[in-house]
Amino acid sequence: MTSEDLAISVQGVSKMFELHSDRRTNLKERFVRGGAKGSDQFWALTDVSFEVPRGSTYGLIGHNGSGKSTMLKLLAGIHRPTAGTVAAHGRVSSMIELGAGFHPELSGRENIYLNGSILGMTKKAIDASLEEIIDFSGIPAQFIDAPVKVYSSGMYVRLGFAIAVNLDPEILLIDEIVAVGDEDFQRKCFDHLYKLRRKGVTICFVSHSLPLVQTLCDHALWLDHGHQKAEGKALAVVDAYLREVNKTEADRLGQSAEEFDDSRSRRGSREVTIGRVEFLDANGTASPIGTTGEPLTVRMHYEVHEQVTEPVFGLAFHHESGTHVSGPNSLEGGMMTGTPALGEGYADFRMDPLLLQPGAYVVTAAVVDTTMAHVYDYRDQAFALHVQPGRRAAGAGVVALPGSWSMRTVSTSNEQGVPS
Amino acid sequence: MPQLTEIWTYRGLIGNFAQRELRGKYKGSALGQLWSLVNPMATLGIYTLVFGFFLRFPPPVAGNGHLKNFAVYLFTGLVAWNFFNAIVLGSIGALAGAGPLLKKIYFPPFAPVIGGAGATLYQAGIEMGLLIIVMVVLQNVSWTILLLPVLLALLALFALGIGMLLAMLNVKYRDVAYLTTIVLNLLFYATPIIYPISKVPSHKNGIAVREYYDLNPLTQFVEGFRDVVYDLKVPSAGRLLSLLVVSVVVFLLGFTFFERGSRDVAELL
Repeated sequence: MTSEDLAISVQGVSKMFELHSDRRTNLKERFVRGGAKGSDQFWALTDVSFEVPRGSTYGLIGHNGSGKSTMLKLLAGIHRPTAGTVAAHGRVSSMIELGAGFHPELSGRENIYLNGSILGMTKKAIDASLEEIIDFSGIPAQFIDAPVKVYSSGMYVRLGFAIAVNLDPEILLIDEIVAVGDEDFQRKCFDHLYKLRRKGVTICFVSHSLPLVQTLCDHALWLDHGHQKAEGKALAVVDAYLREVNKTEADRLGQSAEEFDDSRSRRGSREVTIGRVEFLDANGTASPIGTTGEPLTVRMHYEVHEQVTEPVFGLAFHHESGTHVSGPNSLEGGMMTGTPALGEGYADFRMDPLLLQPGAYVVTAAVVDTTMAHVYDYRDQAFALHVQPGRRAAGAGVVALPGSWSMRTVSTSNEQGVPS
Repeated sequence: MPQLTEIWTYRGLIGNFAQRELRGKYKGSALGQLWSLVNPMATLGIYTLVFGFFLRFPPPVAGNGHLKNFAVYLFTGLVAWNFFNAIVLGSIGALAGAGPLLKKIYFPPFAPVIGGAGATLYQAGIEMGLLIIVMVVLQNVSWTILLLPVLLALLALFALGIGMLLAMLNVKYRDVAYLTTIVLNLLFYATPIIYPISKVPSHKNGIAVREYYDLNPLTQFVEGFRDVVYDLKVPSAGRLLSLLVVSVVVFLLGFTFFERGSRDVAELL
């Protein structure tokens, strides 16, 4: 790739920060302790290299503190690398913090000029886009000439964003864009980003929203504690990142489902009791995490203390938001339980595939008699189930409805572009 | 000096920082911009009362041959001093104040510093205007007043050079700001502002006191201001030349030092 096609070129970049506690910020320390260099060095980035082709969109992903924002600051020229080179070919604009540089006592209009010029706009350019900025920000007319200190935090950020998107950059750096404003404003922002992308602006952004990175980015970089874990096609990088995150989470949570203390809400006559609940994946391995689109078996361990006939096992899934998603039971599922022997056993509820969307759920497990009026044991919202995104980008909502798509043309029209 | 041209490139930003400083400063106060007049006049009033009335410092006769007014004499020197003082302290504050911003957006760190000096220049302009009006009323004016802007420009360069040096040092060692306040206080009394330079003995205990005293560029500046505004004479060629050389050299040194430190300033602030 020739250098003309590159908007950003980062070669072997490392960045070290000296930790604050070790800095000789006053002369006394300098004299008393001398100028000796301490060992409190923090390497925010270690040997990172990547290239961003002109006109493409690039995503930086990684957990908190992985060095994403530091990388963005190096690209913006705010910091310089300790080692390696950072080259940006073109006019760089950054949206690292919106509304930074607003003077609280100045009016919105005055701050547009101030902030615009800090971001590198000429007065002429601001004059030309002033109305567009005010319009885009959606700030009511009576506020635009009031000092920004009376603005709501939303108005403040929206004004900052409106200024930043009107900069006409060649390279745009964005830190965590999704956190701006309400639904309506976010839509406007994304529309604008797509517009910039169509215009050929190179966009480089940091985001924790993986679906966004997958849909918006051509390439992505995954940073982990300042090290470059993966770089390349956005889909592949996000995939690799997800797999790692899921694995770490599974390791953290261990095998058994997390059990909440339900001693107060637990009720029932206890002829049959429910012990632990396990979630088994396709290989039969227990893990507290399910994956959307893959098989999951819920295994309820029970113990029969007294003879009962036809007990009914039931489950309830609640989303963390409180929505009751589903409540399957063994009676409607057509399982005859007969007279289970005294002692321990388990009942399985198998889902293939798991239709719950990624998120946190709580599971209720119960065993009741055939009339469902008498409760043997009822463990209300006692078990945690985490659902992680599968290979496909996750959709919205709580449930992935099992449907299939098809289309067919009903009649054709000879006239181009005019639907009949 | 390739960076010097950057000052011109970023003139819009510098202007905006100056405006931010000026607009934001007195916003919300009832008197608003009037405060920029009230402040120096209050200082002037206090010094006049203490040094002219209680201590009875005799002012020298002014250029028109009959004016003898300590307040006016004092004001002339004070204007020059205030300008210097405000730029030096303002520079330190401007860089430190721009810290949070410099961490988030890239722009040359000299922009807020020079912008702040610009705002101070505006303030000094008001004081100068007031001084000239007083002089016209007292009929003590001459064409030499046209040299005032030249001296002001040189003093601006000199003060900015020192201000930029100290501002950058202050980023590394926060003591500098406190130390500067003390040194400026000393310097104020080591400069013939509230007393005439004729009070300084030429020799004392075999030391050529006056010679050392004259080495202070601020003495030369204050005397220069008095030359053109109070005594209505052209400063000596030696004084003008030395002021020109000192100002330019100090500015270039300060600016170079500032630029060398400015690459890492976002991390240290």
